[in-house]
Amino acid sequence: MKFLLSVLALSFAAIPALAMDNFVLEDEIALCMTCHGEAGVPVDPEYPVISGQEYFYIYTQLRDYAAGRRDNEIMSPIAAEYDRDQAKLLAEHIAAQPWPAIPAETKDGDPQLAQKGITGGQCSACHGKWQGDSRIPRLAGQQVDYLKKTMLDFKNEARMNAPDKISTMKQLDDETIDALSRYLATLDAH
Amino acid sequence: MKTLSVMAAIGIAASISLGAASAQEETSASTLYGDMQHVTQDMLDRAAGDGNNFLHTNHNYEQTRYYPATQINTENVKNLRPAWIFQTEVVDTMETSPIVVNGVMYVTTAFNHVYALNARTGEQIWHHKHAMGPVTTYCCGPNNRGVAVSGGKVFMGTLDAKLVALDAKTGKQLWETQIAEAELGYSETMAPSVVENMVLIGTNGGEYGIRGFVKAFDTETGELIWTFHTVPENSVGVWATHDATGRDMLRDIDAEKAALEKMGDPYETLGGGVWQNPAVDLETRRIYFVVGNPSPDLDGSLRPGDNLYTDSLVAVDLDTGEYVCHFQYIAHDVWDLDAVSPPIITAVKDNEGNDRKGILHAGKTGHVYIHDAEDCSMLRFSEAMVPQENMWVLPTADGARMLPGANGGVEWSPMAIDPNHRLTYAINLHQPMTYTVRSTPYPEGKLWLGGSFDVIPDEEQWGNVTAVNYDTGKIAWKVRTQQPMIGGVLATAGGLLFSGEGNGLFKAYDSSNGSELWRFQAGAGVNAPPSSYTVEGEQYIVVAAGGNAQLNFKRGNNIIAFTLAD
Repeated sequence: MKFLLSVLALSFAAIPALAMDNFVLEDEIALCMTCHGEAGVPVDPEYPVISGQEYFYIYTQLRDYAAGRRDNEIMSPIAAEYDRDQAKLLAEHIAAQPWPAIPAETKDGDPQLAQKGITGGQCSACHGKWQGDSRIPRLAGQQVDYLKKTMLDFKNEARMNAPDKISTMKQLDDETIDALSRYLATLDAH
Repeated sequence: MKTLSVMAAIGIAASISLGAASAQEETSASTLYGDMQHVTQDMLDRAAGDGNNFLHTNHNYEQTRYYPATQINTENVKNLRPAWIFQTEVVDTMETSPIVVNGVMYVTTAFNHVYALNARTGEQIWHHKHAMGPVTTYCCGPNNRGVAVSGGKVFMGTLDAKLVALDAKTGKQLWETQIAEAELGYSETMAPSVVENMVLIGTNGGEYGIRGFVKAFDTETGELIWTFHTVPENSVGVWATHDATGRDMLRDIDAEKAALEKMGDPYETLGGGVWQNPAVDLETRRIYFVVGNPSPDLDGSLRPGDNLYTDSLVAVDLDTGEYVCHFQYIAHDVWDLDAVSPPIITAVKDNEGNDRKGILHAGKTGHVYIHDAEDCSMLRFSEAMVPQENMWVLPTADGARMLPGANGGVEWSPMAIDPNHRLTYAINLHQPMTYTVRSTPYPEGKLWLGGSFDVIPDEEQWGNVTAVNYDTGKIAWKVRTQQPMIGGVLATAGGLLFSGEGNGLFKAYDSSNGSELWRFQAGAGVNAPPSSYTVEGEQYIVVAAGGNAQLNFKRGNNIIAFTLAD
């Protein structure tokens, strides 16, 4: 872990309502897990794993939903309710949870095609070994369908809060995006 | 016992007139193995002639990467063997320049671990893991290029934009200071430099809408002494239409002037990171460094003007940080073909054939630029070391192909020189790319390229090691490599040039003609600058083999020291 979470974890049950009226961390976490899964396994293949995701990435996404930089009919109104401190508390708690193991498989030729896409997009320059770090999300072991949806959303300009990804994803054909999704989903945590 | 000779260094010192601080033989007791005494300013000043230690990132203040020891040479390099291998606990991209002080080696890894090792045996003395904050920023891997040493301290910049000072004997942190705000995109991957009571360091962040700088901090307290902003409040410049080599950059000056009128000077988010150490001229008390790309990289519509001092060689006063002179290679760059390889101070021929103090810099463009140190003006530029095609086609919405690709040419990799041959050695990439522009306002601390540079996966990539005569700009020799090159080189007075490759090969060349004399397979990408040192009469060559995130070369965690077989 890159920063201390123990104080937060120890005092979890006793956290009082914060700046926002009626904010109780435990209740808000329960709301998150309604979709993102009690054990970290999302209820829908197109929903992302967030348990164990990077703190600063989660925080940034909550702020982007709240500010309208990222749009989702479920997440946007929820995130709009949180102020910065509340978003940070949520992100800290979620980031401290274990990343779930979700079975995934590649098809013949996927690693080769994925590597071609990775080389073309210079993906490793930021994503490194796919484990995530701070503002860079972990991709290793993420859900296949979410990875595919995300890349296509960038490519089709449906997701706008990391604008340089749009140009990068437009370079990849759909077959490569499929292969890349399966490839990344099968990578282990380090 | 083999005999150590540094006589070549003495000859070189006599041939270049760079002041009293330049290369001289330095084998006094103060630099011999075992006493663990502090690094003095005198040692740092005379590092060029020190065949025992490796005290600066690029060996000496002039940054020549020319090591004076001759025990390992063209005749016996075939007998070079691993003496020891140290494995760090971080298996990831490595760009560290090993620093060696009196038989103790300091190396760093990704995510800011520092190790002190016994340079003779490879045994660990201490290990320091930086307590990283929650916000880090980097465009090109969680790299660190090494430490600076002075007194009893070891200094390192961190990914969360801090400067830390460690006790050289124990690794305990003595102080830390926040260099800039990490959440805004600032971070540190470069090694600091120390001159007297100052630690000098630049910043990463040219892909994040920062305002670049070089700062000087007090070695004892970490307090800020001065700041030089690499982007001045008036960044417009002279509306240059041609690059340093005279090629038209196809700027639409009228459109830029209209944009300037509308949006004002873009200096606050104009980038201008400084990736590598400055060359230090103690005679004139100036430092010379190069400034990286403007932000956003590919979208010039949001940053009208020349975008001073991005893509430039800059000199400032060592004591005050005040501007002295600059030379801009590419005004209003929209290709990220910026200036990142550290400059070198050495005597060069001027256009009348006389020796004068010069500055060398290798650009991502694939040229070595040779400057007059007096006023930063360019004396000449070298032949292109890599293919150049379609320069300077403007990036388009669909992607325009141009060579070199955005990684160069010469990336951050330091050059080395051999003053006997009047050669400078550079490693190059050949990576065909398309340049795509997509205009967007600054996305709140996120990557801000203004489009993308995409490798064309079906086109062949390769690299080369190139020797350039800096008096003429002519290429003396060139050796092609299997993969694009990133990491750096080391030249020695033994007539050798060492450099590693992404495929794990670490090679020694005859520096006079490029003949390969020796190779070793390290098992992971060798993408870091080599160093050399001497302990108990044995000369060593040392290099990190950790691969590279930016080019996705196989990762590893090895520090490998080589010496001659008995």
